[in-house]
Amino acid sequence: MNKHVWRPAWAVALPATLFAALLLAVATTPLPWRLSWPWIPTLGVELSVHIDGLSAQFLMLITGVGTLVFIYAGGYLAGDHRRHRVFTLLSLFMLAMIGAVVSDNLLVLFIFWELTSVLSFLLVGFDHAQESSRKSAQQALLVTGTGGLCLLAGIILLGQIAESYSIQTLIERAPLFWDDPRLNATLLLLFLGAFTKSAQFPFHFWLPNAMAAPTPVSAYLHSATMVKLGIYLLARLDAAFGDQLFWEYTLVGAGTVTALFAAFQTIYERDLKRILAWSTVATLGTLTMLIGLPGQGAAVAVAALFFAHALYKAPLFFVAGNLDHGAGTRQIDQLTGMRRYMPWTAAAALLAALSMAGLPLTFGFIAKDAINFAKSQSDVLHLVSYVTVFVSGISVAVAAIAAIRVFWGVDSVPRKVHPHEAPLSMLLPPLALVALGLLFGLAPTLVDPLLGAAARAMAPGFNPMAVDAAYDIIPVLEATLGVLLFGGLIYLYWDRLHDLLGRVRHFERYGPEAAYRGFLDRLPRLAAGLTRRLQHGLLPNYLMTLIGTATLLVLALLAAARPAWTLPATDTLTVPVLGATLLIAAGAGTALFVRDHLVLLLVSGLIGYGSAILFLFTGAPDLAFTQFAVETIFVVVAAAVLLRLRRLAPSILAPPPQTRLNPLALGVAIAFATVLTGLALMVSGIPFDSNLSNFFNSQSLPMAHGRNVVNVIIVDFRALDTLGEIAVLLFALLAALPLLAITRRNRP
Amino acid sequence: MTSRALIAEVLTGTLYVLLLIGSLWILLRGHNAPGGGFIGGLLAVAASAAYALVFGSHRALRRLPLGPVRLAGCGALLALLSGLPAVLQGQPFLTHLWTNLSFAGVELPLSTVLLFDLGVYLCVWGAIGGYCLALVGAIEEDP
Repeated sequence: MNKHVWRPAWAVALPATLFAALLLAVATTPLPWRLSWPWIPTLGVELSVHIDGLSAQFLMLITGVGTLVFIYAGGYLAGDHRRHRVFTLLSLFMLAMIGAVVSDNLLVLFIFWELTSVLSFLLVGFDHAQESSRKSAQQALLVTGTGGLCLLAGIILLGQIAESYSIQTLIERAPLFWDDPRLNATLLLLFLGAFTKSAQFPFHFWLPNAMAAPTPVSAYLHSATMVKLGIYLLARLDAAFGDQLFWEYTLVGAGTVTALFAAFQTIYERDLKRILAWSTVATLGTLTMLIGLPGQGAAVAVAALFFAHALYKAPLFFVAGNLDHGAGTRQIDQLTGMRRYMPWTAAAALLAALSMAGLPLTFGFIAKDAINFAKSQSDVLHLVSYVTVFVSGISVAVAAIAAIRVFWGVDSVPRKVHPHEAPLSMLLPPLALVALGLLFGLAPTLVDPLLGAAARAMAPGFNPMAVDAAYDIIPVLEATLGVLLFGGLIYLYWDRLHDLLGRVRHFERYGPEAAYRGFLDRLPRLAAGLTRRLQHGLLPNYLMTLIGTATLLVLALLAAARPAWTLPATDTLTVPVLGATLLIAAGAGTALFVRDHLVLLLVSGLIGYGSAILFLFTGAPDLAFTQFAVETIFVVVAAAVLLRLRRLAPSILAPPPQTRLNPLALGVAIAFATVLTGLALMVSGIPFDSNLSNFFNSQSLPMAHGRNVVNVIIVDFRALDTLGEIAVLLFALLAALPLLAITRRNRP
Repeated sequence: MTSRALIAEVLTGTLYVLLLIGSLWILLRGHNAPGGGFIGGLLAVAASAAYALVFGSHRALRRLPLGPVRLAGCGALLALLSGLPAVLQGQPFLTHLWTNLSFAGVELPLSTVLLFDLGVYLCVWGAIGGYCLALVGAIEEDP
């Protein structure tokens, strides 16, 4: 074996080991499992792991499908030198997914959630030499990242309402904060997070574009696992909020609209992978709708559809990848009769399509059955039922396209390359998944315990009878027949529908994606305009902006505080204080009329020394000491720099030619002085809170063995702050040294 | 400097040493009287700045023990380490420990506070001093 073969084999070992360990654990230890370690106790964050049926089901998909995806990627990217990057990113992604679905703490879940977004960005942008790839990656990151921020806000609100970030505690306490007025806003934020992640309308558009990623990545992230994370969160919280009307209506509404819209969009596409992507969006919509449905049947349906979808959609993505690999295209117009060149791929496609269409004896049929049962249990609007039938019909048509249109018929398209069958590593994964789908379809009792456990996690009072009731054959057969007929019609008229719909493309011009693009286009212009206004390079104007803003802020503060104006007490007005004040006033007054920079510097030094004297005689010798030292160093160093500059570049230091007074600057200065005076008057009206100073005064000697309270505070009571401050000093030096070194090198 | 000012050089050399001694004294007395690591460090910076004005920033930099970055880094590290003995004893980080040294009838209270303050002193001297010297150096003629 050469090294190009064994490296992917090592990468596969990770998911395969995890999957095997998981199977073993599920078989031997009863669910749920709980583990917990404290992490950031002050924020209530603990690394707690809670694995129940729902988590276990996700773990199965993540590691099981993960193993197959790794194998597939080994073949798909054979000979590609960037393969290591894909395997590294995929492994990291898998770990992040595992972290997200086992975490009991919402904040920890959020961290892993964001990690999956970032890794998805890197994987979608894998082919970063292509502009479309980069754009798609950016879109995926911006949409899911914005949703992630909403989710974080929602989680924090939820944590404040429930006083816990633990999901299990939250579910227990849910009835206690049923009427909390903040709850609807919180749920809305959570929805935004989940909907962006799981590509619900109107945030759906990033998912089909994410198909720029390599096919194994699409199959794994954008069909089987990551896009279901939003659904996972909703399913998780269903036990807590499932009975809220807002929850039910929003989820059923958003899910239905998403499914309907995605089903329509499917017809627009000619690229098999994008067709599959849209049908994935439709499935995600159906899942959201099902979570919104009340009743225990819905929980079973969600669990079954999760499973079924992974078992038929991932193989179909693999098939699309094989076609791309073997025939060089994914356009359905250029693919017919592929069965002769790729028999095994055709077999996998056919079996997956049977399951997707929901034919009896496949696992897809069982999922369909559970969905119908869920709908019959809860009184949904007729509209929702019709939409489901329509979406199922489109599913059937998509399945037929992927299995029949592409593989059967006569190959009449002239092509440059002769199509060939994919290697074993790209056939094994889809065949393994469809075989499992068949097995579970024939013997559903095999997965019964897992589905039951998952459903119990979503609906706590769930009784296992509901699963059995779901296998009521006769009405489902009738419904299936209807859907098959409808789907068959759509399949037959697919091209005509495509042409018909192609004429009305208004949505592309005014839809959410257009809004997204318009926003991105306008953003740089907005930023450029703002920068032009703010960063003009004129120091006096910068100062004016700063001081003007400060004036407005202080003014707002004064207006909000509605202070009682009090003149300061006059008993502190001793001779030294008066002298220091006069010194400051003299310095400030002189500065107005001085034009020479060096003199200006010295005069401003007067203000500093005046302040120091003021501190000295008002009981703050340490402050005075510091002020003296700082002022001296400043004046000495600045004077040295000014003197040298005067010799090096006299033009820089020439007095400004402008002698006219800028009225705006004068106005800003007067306004600033006025609000500062107001602030001073307000502060002297507020009684001094002496709690803190009393504490430090009384405790300084007994607790910290020091009589200088200021120093004791610096080095003992607030030592951690001081440590931070000196670290800032250090970093400031590190930042300044290179800049000054450049100045030295480039100077004239 | 092209023209050497002898009086200034002699005076500054003496002043530099005196200022540094003074800054150390201010550092040490800081716990009970006005002073401490921060003020002491600033005084040391003033000494360096004065030295740089007369002898040039290069020679002032050479007089900074370890050089500015390492001096400031050692200071921050020392302050950080002074908090560790408490952790080893199971108390919160930066809880200061005290001990009394008796030597020939003289009681000398020692503590990790002193180490911490010394760290502040060194960091301020290294960082602000290093910055000032680099600033002066940036516009200085080459020696």
